[in-house]
Amino acid sequence: MASPLPIANAPLVCWNCHERTVGTHFCSSCGKVLQVPNNSDYFAMFEIPRKLWIEMGALEQKFLQLSWKLHPDNYVNATPEEREVSLKRSSELNDAYRTLRDPVGRVEYLLAIEGARKEGQTKQQAPPELLEEVFELNESLDELREARESGGDTASLKQRLHSAGKNFETKLGELDGELQNAAGQWDKALESNDPSQRDSAKAKLNDLLNRRSYIRNLVINVQKELL
Amino acid sequence: MGRTVGIDLGTTNSLVAYLDPQTGQPKCIPGPAGSTLCPSVVSLDPDGSIIVGEPARRRLLTQPERTIYSVKRLMGRGPADIQSELKLFPFRIDPASTNVIRVQLGDRVFTPPEISSFILRELKNWAEAYFGEPVDRAVVTVPAYFNDAQRQATKDAGKLAGLEVLRLVNEPTAAALAYGLHEKQRGKVAVYDLGGGTFDISILKLISTSDGDIYQVLSTNGDTHLGGDDIDNLLQAFVHEQILQTDPIDFSPHGELAQELRRELIALKHKLSEADSASLRFPLPNGKIFTREFTRGSLDALIRPVIDRTMVPVKQALADAHLKPTEMDEVVLVGGTTRTPLIRRTVQELFDRKPHTELNPDEVVALGAAVQANILDHGVQGMLLLDVTPLSLGIETYGGAVAKVIPRNSTIPASAQELYTTGVDNQTGIDIHVLQGERELAKDCRSLARFNLRVPPAPAGLPRIEVKFLIDANGILQVGAKDVRTGTEHTIEVQPSYGLNDNDIERMLEESIEYAEQDFTERQVIEARAEGEAILSATAKALVNPNSANLSAPERAKIDLSVTALKQMMQGTDYKQIRKQMDDLNHATEHLAELLMNAALQSAFEGKKLAEV
Repeated sequence: MASPLPIANAPLVCWNCHERTVGTHFCSSCGKVLQVPNNSDYFAMFEIPRKLWIEMGALEQKFLQLSWKLHPDNYVNATPEEREVSLKRSSELNDAYRTLRDPVGRVEYLLAIEGARKEGQTKQQAPPELLEEVFELNESLDELREARESGGDTASLKQRLHSAGKNFETKLGELDGELQNAAGQWDKALESNDPSQRDSAKAKLNDLLNRRSYIRNLVINVQKELL
Repeated sequence: MGRTVGIDLGTTNSLVAYLDPQTGQPKCIPGPAGSTLCPSVVSLDPDGSIIVGEPARRRLLTQPERTIYSVKRLMGRGPADIQSELKLFPFRIDPASTNVIRVQLGDRVFTPPEISSFILRELKNWAEAYFGEPVDRAVVTVPAYFNDAQRQATKDAGKLAGLEVLRLVNEPTAAALAYGLHEKQRGKVAVYDLGGGTFDISILKLISTSDGDIYQVLSTNGDTHLGGDDIDNLLQAFVHEQILQTDPIDFSPHGELAQELRRELIALKHKLSEADSASLRFPLPNGKIFTREFTRGSLDALIRPVIDRTMVPVKQALADAHLKPTEMDEVVLVGGTTRTPLIRRTVQELFDRKPHTELNPDEVVALGAAVQANILDHGVQGMLLLDVTPLSLGIETYGGAVAKVIPRNSTIPASAQELYTTGVDNQTGIDIHVLQGERELAKDCRSLARFNLRVPPAPAGLPRIEVKFLIDANGILQVGAKDVRTGTEHTIEVQPSYGLNDNDIERMLEESIEYAEQDFTERQVIEARAEGEAILSATAKALVNPNSANLSAPERAKIDLSVTALKQMMQGTDYKQIRKQMDDLNHATEHLAELLMNAALQSAFEGKKLAEV
């Protein structure tokens, strides 16, 4: 895509007055709330570019402003059709706000609409540079489970698992930093309109998300064992 | 279209309120006895009629097997869910209950939504008598932590009571609305709501915008089976034990004696909220009297575990909102149980600020419901409520795990799409199991619905069906499906796991007519006709009186005309027209009444209408 123009501004036919309309949320002709066009996305809904750095205050303002108009509370006495449209639009607004507010969810979403999210094999595989540590961690987990079953001593094993877990928690923090850097790269590539830089930023973001999800699962597993 | 009211359908008491257009403030509507509290107790009279409220509460002692309280605990639950409740509550469950519980009252069985509908109908009658106008729409409150099935059951109860439920509003949110209107609060507010049977904690953010005030719920948590009832149970178990030490008395939970003791203990509990000590005197069937002095300290020791249980949801809600207790600007106490001094103290210590208790904790939820009812009735005017779903929505995946598709505390309405395809050639259906809850395994979550997604026969992996899960503004799930390749939309019949289906409701609606008092208009027509008959017969009697001969011809003609007109109106159902014709006839017979009175020369008749002579 050449430019992140809000797609919702593409011409659309209003469900109510059947006029062609250019509004994002409300018909420019009759003022009724509009159906979401099939090719719309969460960024377009907020009329912002597909950048990963989002000014949260402005996002909240826009969310509240649209909530006033789209919320089903406004449509209790409306026709069933308009009520249905409002319910759909209002839920999508809330879904959009929930997703864009979350720094990781936002990246997942961007890659999904850019067609660049590939979980595939990498999700199940340990990142190569961590292979050894992951192997050890899994071994500790197994030993702890065995010791628990056979009634053996678990205190020292728990201690070992705890420090290994802490190690991975640190790595998770580092990954979040890297994710932030890659997000910055994407934003720059978007500004400079350079397709190859955009593709490399997307690939990097995708790779980081997969690592993050792998390590996060490990951390959660460790925490569960130590409870 | 009739009036819209706000209703708090509580475990112990229920209330109905409206927004007074004169003052702009919400107000609770009193019942015939003058109280705004309607005990949530329903009794089936041996003559087959339904008795609700205070009269039913008195029957807990005299006819416990025909009377039920705390039915809210059974709403939206299956027989397996309520086994623990049955030990503590005298619910008589029909052993033939399958996925929907049926409660026995005397020789009849009712579902919990039906019993709740009797309470709603009673409140509807209160409001109609108060306004002198029909009431047909309502906002009904539910505990914030109610799941989909419990919400659906509440909505069904409204329908059975002849009310269109415009919205289910979460109780703590309703309380925040009432307080917001009352005190113009701003900032972050915690609402601690401990009622008769449920506990909720909600964290809200009150935001002023150029369009008006937004009440945004950040997080909510709770326990739908924790409340004042539990304190009563503990107290009752404690005293039973004390009595049994010296006297072998049979306290079967269904018996009158147990109900009598419970009533005494509730009164004792209330006394201990005001005084430092109180005594219990309870006559036993063997002629002895059990006497015991209770201090507030001894009650506190007993209820400490209940308060501790509320702290788990409080901490989770704060964590989900990413806030510390001391970051709250305001704390609000809701629910009758928060009158307990120990609870007030504990909440004050946790948040390090004095909680708001200015509004009556029994009434505040109904008042908030009335505020929301007014908003929905007249369109959003300077006030908007953004609530959340209390529980994560998930789909069962391979191996009995749950994939969360809508996380808890998402602003509602909220939705999620999942793409499904087939695993083998010509597979014609995909089983989908929808769950609610935070646990990772399907067996530990609450089953909402199972359904089979129909797929046109095709090679494996080719069909692409997008299923859309949508939680509406009531917190109730809707499901839709779309064939991505053809664009055709399917509607999905979702059979609730623990709830009534449309056929059940249809049948109950038919049956409910048997119990329902006639609706408002019908009652008005019947009353107007009866009064019309009385006037007609009085007029006929007066016209055969010899003294009526003194009427002038035009006077006589006017009376005859009025009589005919009234008779005609009484054939119809327009009670306003009937009353208008009654007035006309009364007017036309003024001279006739005078003549008769003069003739009788009885001063006692003076100033009376003809019908009264």
